[in-house]
Amino acid sequence: MPEPESPASASAPDAVLKALADPHRRQILRLVQYHELAAGQIAARFPLTQQAISQHIAVLKQAGLLTERRDGTRRLYALRHEALDPVRSLLAEFWPDRLARLKDAVERAHDPEETR
Amino acid sequence: MPASPTVTARIAAPPDVVFPYFTDPALIITWMGDRADLDPQPGGVFAVDVGASPARGTYLAVEPPTRVVFTWGLPGSETMPAGSTTVEVILTADGDETIVSLTHHNLPDEHRPGHKKGWDTFLGALPAAVTHH
Repeated sequence: MPEPESPASASAPDAVLKALADPHRRQILRLVQYHELAAGQIAARFPLTQQAISQHIAVLKQAGLLTERRDGTRRLYALRHEALDPVRSLLAEFWPDRLARLKDAVERAHDPEETR
Repeated sequence: MPASPTVTARIAAPPDVVFPYFTDPALIITWMGDRADLDPQPGGVFAVDVGASPARGTYLAVEPPTRVVFTWGLPGSETMPAGSTTVEVILTADGDETIVSLTHHNLPDEHRPGHKKGWDTFLGALPAAVTHH
């Protein structure tokens, strides 16, 4: 397995999953997935305080899901697509993991030796 | 290249034993979810709570003991609403055993990383996939 190359993937996927487990934060990511937006522009799209939005942005940034760029006094945010990679891997494990549990559950309940 | 991933498992029990694990609420929660409301007939409800994430859909095909198809999504999600993806399960007898083959159709294409179109769908799909917490 390759070593993690960025701080984001060092703690991923947990930090990414936690960051994504909030509908407002997912909506923020949708807003900035194609282009940068300033914090104020993001906040204007939500019925939340600027402070609440700042906290959401901080969580997303810490999880590596947002890039931040300074433009004068403004800070511009954009989605960092590659932060998703470890979570994609996790999603890919969902059904294999479930089927392994199905196998265990069925085979525990069904012992062919007992029916013979 | 098919975009829909297929997962298989071999289970030491015949298909008629395995099949109810996809249609009986008491059995489905032994391997997926904490609570289930199932009406296993075409058009019937498929509802399983996986952790805090409710998976919702409808049965499309219920053909014991070989095939079951249901839709899968998240209520309230703009991007992956209830019923927006499809899970197809095929059970094939192999001696006394069963090969379970599961395909999840309409998931975001994972073969094109960075492809922006998949992102919205993926964000919607994610909570259903998070089951380990």
